[in-house]
Amino acid sequence: VKKHSQHMKLFKNKGKDETSLRRQRVEVSIELRKAKKDEQILKRRNISIHVKEENPSLGQDRAYEIIQPSLEEILEAVNGDDTELQLLATQATRKLLSRHKDPPINQIIELGIIPRMVEFLGRADNASLQFEAAWALTNIASGTSEHTRAVVEGGAIPAFISLLSSPHMHISEQSVWALGNIAGDGPLYRDALIARDVIPPLLALVSPATPVGFLRNITWTLSNLCRNKNPCPPLDAVKKILPVLVFLLQHEDKEVISDSCWAVSYLTDSCNDRIQVVVDTGILPRLVELMDSPDVNVVTPALRAVGNVVTGTDQQTQDAIDAGVLTVLPRLLRHMKPVIQKEAAWTLSNIAAGPCQQIQQIITCGLLPPLVELLSKGDFKAQKEAVWVVANFTTGGTVDQVVELVRSGVLKPLLNLLLAKDSKTILTILETISKLFLAAEKLGETEKLCLLVEELDGLEKIEDLQNHENDMVYRAALDIIEKYFSGEENTDLEPQTGQDGLYDFSVEKQDFNF
Amino acid sequence: MELSDANLQTLTEYLKKTLDPDPAIRRPAEKFLESVEGSQNYPLLLLTLLEKSQENVIKVCASVTFKNYIKRNWRIVEDEPNKICESDRIAIKANIVPLMLSSPEQIQKQLSDAISIIGREDFPQKWPDLLTEMVNRFQSGDFHVINGVLRTAHSLFKRYRHEFKSNELWTEIKLVLDAFALPLTNLFKATIELCSTHANDASALKVLFSSLILIAKLFYSLNFQDLPEFFEDNMETWMTNFHSLLTLDNKLLQTDDEEEAGLLELLKSQICDNAALYAQKYDEEFQPYLPRFVTAIWNLLVTTGQEVKYDLLVSNAIQFLASVCERPHYKHLFEDQNTLTSICEKVIVPNMEFRAADEEAFEDNSEEYIRRDLEGSDIDTRRRAACDLVRGLCKFFEGPVTGIFSGYVNSMLQEYAKNPSVNWKHKDAAIYLVTSLASKAQTQKHGITQANELVNLTEFFVNHIQPDLKSATVNEFPVLKADGIKYIMIFRNQVPKEQLLVSIPLLINHLQAESIVVHTYAAHALERLFTMRGTNNVTLITAAEMAPFVEVLLTNLFKALTLPGSSENEYIMKAIMRSFSLLQESIIPYIPSVITQLTQKLLAVSKNPSKPHFNHYMFESICLSIRITCKANPEAVGSFEEALFLVFTEILQNDVQEFIPYVFQVMSLLLEMHKNEIPSSYMALFPHLLQPVLWERTGNIPPLVRLLQAYLERGASTIASAAADKIPGLLGVFQKLIASKANDHQGFYLLNSIIEHMPPESVDQYRKQIFILLFQRLQNSKTTKFIKSFLVFINLYCVRYGALALQEIFDSIQPKMFGMVLEKIIIPEIQKVSGQVEKKICAVGITKILTECPPMMDTEYTKLWIPLLQALIGLFELPEDDTIPDEEHFIDIEDTPGYQTAFSQLAFAGKKEHDPVGQMVNNPRIHLAQSLHKLSTACPGRVLSMLSTSLNAEALQYLQGYLQAASVSLL
Repeated sequence: VKKHSQHMKLFKNKGKDETSLRRQRVEVSIELRKAKKDEQILKRRNISIHVKEENPSLGQDRAYEIIQPSLEEILEAVNGDDTELQLLATQATRKLLSRHKDPPINQIIELGIIPRMVEFLGRADNASLQFEAAWALTNIASGTSEHTRAVVEGGAIPAFISLLSSPHMHISEQSVWALGNIAGDGPLYRDALIARDVIPPLLALVSPATPVGFLRNITWTLSNLCRNKNPCPPLDAVKKILPVLVFLLQHEDKEVISDSCWAVSYLTDSCNDRIQVVVDTGILPRLVELMDSPDVNVVTPALRAVGNVVTGTDQQTQDAIDAGVLTVLPRLLRHMKPVIQKEAAWTLSNIAAGPCQQIQQIITCGLLPPLVELLSKGDFKAQKEAVWVVANFTTGGTVDQVVELVRSGVLKPLLNLLLAKDSKTILTILETISKLFLAAEKLGETEKLCLLVEELDGLEKIEDLQNHENDMVYRAALDIIEKYFSGEENTDLEPQTGQDGLYDFSVEKQDFNF
Repeated sequence: MELSDANLQTLTEYLKKTLDPDPAIRRPAEKFLESVEGSQNYPLLLLTLLEKSQENVIKVCASVTFKNYIKRNWRIVEDEPNKICESDRIAIKANIVPLMLSSPEQIQKQLSDAISIIGREDFPQKWPDLLTEMVNRFQSGDFHVINGVLRTAHSLFKRYRHEFKSNELWTEIKLVLDAFALPLTNLFKATIELCSTHANDASALKVLFSSLILIAKLFYSLNFQDLPEFFEDNMETWMTNFHSLLTLDNKLLQTDDEEEAGLLELLKSQICDNAALYAQKYDEEFQPYLPRFVTAIWNLLVTTGQEVKYDLLVSNAIQFLASVCERPHYKHLFEDQNTLTSICEKVIVPNMEFRAADEEAFEDNSEEYIRRDLEGSDIDTRRRAACDLVRGLCKFFEGPVTGIFSGYVNSMLQEYAKNPSVNWKHKDAAIYLVTSLASKAQTQKHGITQANELVNLTEFFVNHIQPDLKSATVNEFPVLKADGIKYIMIFRNQVPKEQLLVSIPLLINHLQAESIVVHTYAAHALERLFTMRGTNNVTLITAAEMAPFVEVLLTNLFKALTLPGSSENEYIMKAIMRSFSLLQESIIPYIPSVITQLTQKLLAVSKNPSKPHFNHYMFESICLSIRITCKANPEAVGSFEEALFLVFTEILQNDVQEFIPYVFQVMSLLLEMHKNEIPSSYMALFPHLLQPVLWERTGNIPPLVRLLQAYLERGASTIASAAADKIPGLLGVFQKLIASKANDHQGFYLLNSIIEHMPPESVDQYRKQIFILLFQRLQNSKTTKFIKSFLVFINLYCVRYGALALQEIFDSIQPKMFGMVLEKIIIPEIQKVSGQVEKKICAVGITKILTECPPMMDTEYTKLWIPLLQALIGLFELPEDDTIPDEEHFIDIEDTPGYQTAFSQLAFAGKKEHDPVGQMVNNPRIHLAQSLHKLSTACPGRVLSMLSTSLNAEALQYLQGYLQAASVSLL
């Protein structure tokens, strides 16, 4: 409530509300871009070969590969009563689905053998059959939503959940994987799994003795159970998972850590109450530490998780600051990967949206130089976010803080970005410039700022924007020109009247302090 | 309206009439069409006509009428009736695309526009099959049809380039991409293949290249908001082809026209834009392609000619290089000395050359030339692009670039020296090169503010600029003269003063040049030099240093105004003003001639004022002449009046609106110069100044108030005796002003002058009304500005008429009014008063209320005594309260009346600040102490006891300070 009223005050008369200041991760739910390469994988197919080593019948495998049965033969064998043939057919199916290129998922589904495979999952007497069926189903579930649905509708959910407690570790592990694929499909199946009580047996698999490979699978499945919004996962499920995630975050394996961070990042990509649930675990210092990891696969989700936290309340943001986020961000703003720069700047923009005490911490922790660097040389995606940092900073900062910002050299790159090919960015910059002028007016330094803007070639860019196609951009530019750059001659002329009542040349404003 | 032949016939008749040159025939036909356009089937009749009419002119006319009809009526505005019936809408959408595609080009363009207007409203939701319908036509193989589709698509999609990201927009783009991106890509590939199979067929090539241009434009629109997945996956196809198109040339596509860009240029130009878009926004993904584009674009530049038709292409291409070379991770592409040399030699230098087109502009369109060259509206020119590239390269390679260019500058200067009359353009380029190399930051006001330290600006100035300007013939090589003058102007802060002094007579001499650009630059340069500041904040160039040149300077400046094309040259007029202001009394001997020339000019331009800046500086110059002369010789005011009043009368009589505010200001200045009683010539004008028509124009208000104040200062008793009947009219003006939130402060200026100067008995009968009016405004719409002015006024009144008179008049309006004003207005708001004189007036007024108003001591008002004293001490000691309540923040926007000629305030007609209590009170704190001392002597013990029981400690401490300073104590 405090944040709300404060921001409303800030924006009174400006026709804005606080939502425009702190920006949630998703602005537009439509994406034009390729799915992000830095995102965690939603579903995975098991095409690993090392599993074969566990399989004693290596020679047989080869033999059957040569005499690969046809789909008809598979159908017949699976539906038949011969256990041996069932196993061989299931194995053949699994192999088809595990081949590197173009697994025939659709054909297998069309054969209608999924219910039969699900049935095999229950054959506690035949571990091999259970395993092969689990693997095959895992790979079917790894496909499109249609594919996953076929597996779920075949009744696989309860079967896999009970297999979690299988005495055979490889079966239990394969089930974890399958369940991960189902959970990754979306909130509907995720919640169906949770409703079937998938969490207790899954968490029971985590122990110090669990082999790393297995632990990776479990962590990944857990992360899918935390993933997706609209709605977000049920609160009591989250509360059950969180202590285990806290434990996993301390693990030494990079993949386990990475997927745990992803899980936390999903949980924090939500409303403030959910963020609070995560903050309450005391995990922030560890997340901040991981932001500084040399491994980019850890940095990415850790940064996201913390970035999401600072979209929350002032207090939650303060908790992140107290955990040291501002000491790590300078390095991330200079990170070689543009995506990291962008996320770091986004995070900073939300901290800059806070009260002026937090803005002061941004200054104190030395964030301005890397910000200016990013603004002038960063990748465009990152530059856009950096513009937001400046915009929020000038909105919430005190006059002194804004002066400090200008003194750090922010103006030149900011004005250069008026050439950006993005209307929103241009508008944000123009609004920021207006705010800088308001601050300059308070200091009586308007004219100095005018000269500075002109010297940095900003004036001609703003003048040019008066021809911009976008109405709001054009009006914002016009507004600045009219307010500060027209009739320049008159301020030029304004004389002081001396004792004798005549014009004298002795007037000059004090030095600009920027 | 039915779709009948009869109706088609009628419509044809009317359409034909709308083309008639005779308005008596044309207008009624247009009216008729408007009156029937609401009928069902009307648009369908138009479509039928544009398709089937026998006469081509009717076809075209129907298509234009149709487009305008769509433009006016298609949008459905909330709460307004739907102007096109649903069945017509459906029929239009079903037929328009095929109709457009089968029409000849002239009609196709109109229909294409209509489609995009409809699309803006209905696409995609209400026109779902539009895209499929369009895409299907790609298969047709008929490029007339395909171009129609592409053009329509372009007008539908180009808004993606400037709209803000939103769910709605991106949903639409995604839909478009899904349906359009692949067919467009295939079409792109197919078209390129066709280009090579038809490489020898000029007419086919033209059609194909028109398609390619549209395709490249569509690419830009579709890729603008973000990098779509499809285009990322197909980047190889697009970029490889774009790249090869950049390097393509075909004789058949070259045009003879020198001005108009041909298809090839347009296409390459758009490709440069596309590459620049990717380089700026999608750097990560585009990186592998970028070096190839740099090379291709640079080769393109090397091989492109000087003709105007290539300008857009060249400046786009150079700007691309300029934006890339500043990026740290592309630095290496430019680093190599050979690369740099080659860029400098083949890209920058050639594009800095002064071309035939520039020469034409210099001679025939000098105003435009000056605007571009001097005021920097040259953003799209080649020179400017080349200059930006120099600055970009200097970011990382300042040393090497400066070195390379020095060589060029020298060789160009040598070329020039060999044969100046043939090779003068080489020198022009050399000067331009030095300028762009040396200037790192620049403003209009100060010229260059940061220079490249590797360039010796003074040496170049002495060796290469001054000699040109020293030449005896001012009209030789005008472009070089202009270059030289401009050099002085922009590097004035870098060149030492002694060199500037040497230049001044040269500049004065060039005021005589015939070339408009040259004498304008000379005037502008002088004006800029005269505004430079030296140490101690005085002008760098002093009046004493200018003494030898006064006569020639003034003569040449005024003569320049008689040169062809410069009769209203604002640069010259500004230089006149600046010279007067600098030279001060040394211009006095020339004033008679000067004022005659200025008056003549004024008379001439008042017939048709067209150059606002020129006019403004002209009036400033007149004001300066008056002030400078009358300061030395007050009697001279009469001769100015003699010279000016005739013209002024004409301006007022002819109601020359642009000039009236200026005339009032000059008149105020003249009137204020009079030491004695107001001359009768002014009194004759007085009644006219009160005429409402004058006060309706916002721009008149400040100068008219100023003028009336001058009347009151100089002629209050004359007004009281000779124009007493005009006093209500005068107060009427006050009332008019006070009614407006925007002008109320002007009303108070007037009222203050009335109270201060008019004999009390002359306004006696109006005083109560004045206060009632103010109280009403206070009650109904009080604003901070109003309260501030009100507080100053009542305190001034108190100073003039006494505190008791104030109390009495308030309480006569309403019992206890005085106490209420004290409690509700004065005490809480006095902090808001700003301005030294204003604060002083309030301090003296309040002191009087505290110490010279018996009811404050012995009635119920006594309880307000301490709070009032505390407020006064606060006024002395606390910082000004400048908080403005929220709703007033917008007062300007709501209350400013419609645009009128804004008040053009003349700086040199400036009014001295007037302190009405100055004589009486020097230090208001000491005055308070003395007054309190007097009061305590009159009633011993009372003041002290009030102070000790109620005044807060801090205020008491301040008060003791005042008493000490005044060396008095309280009894």
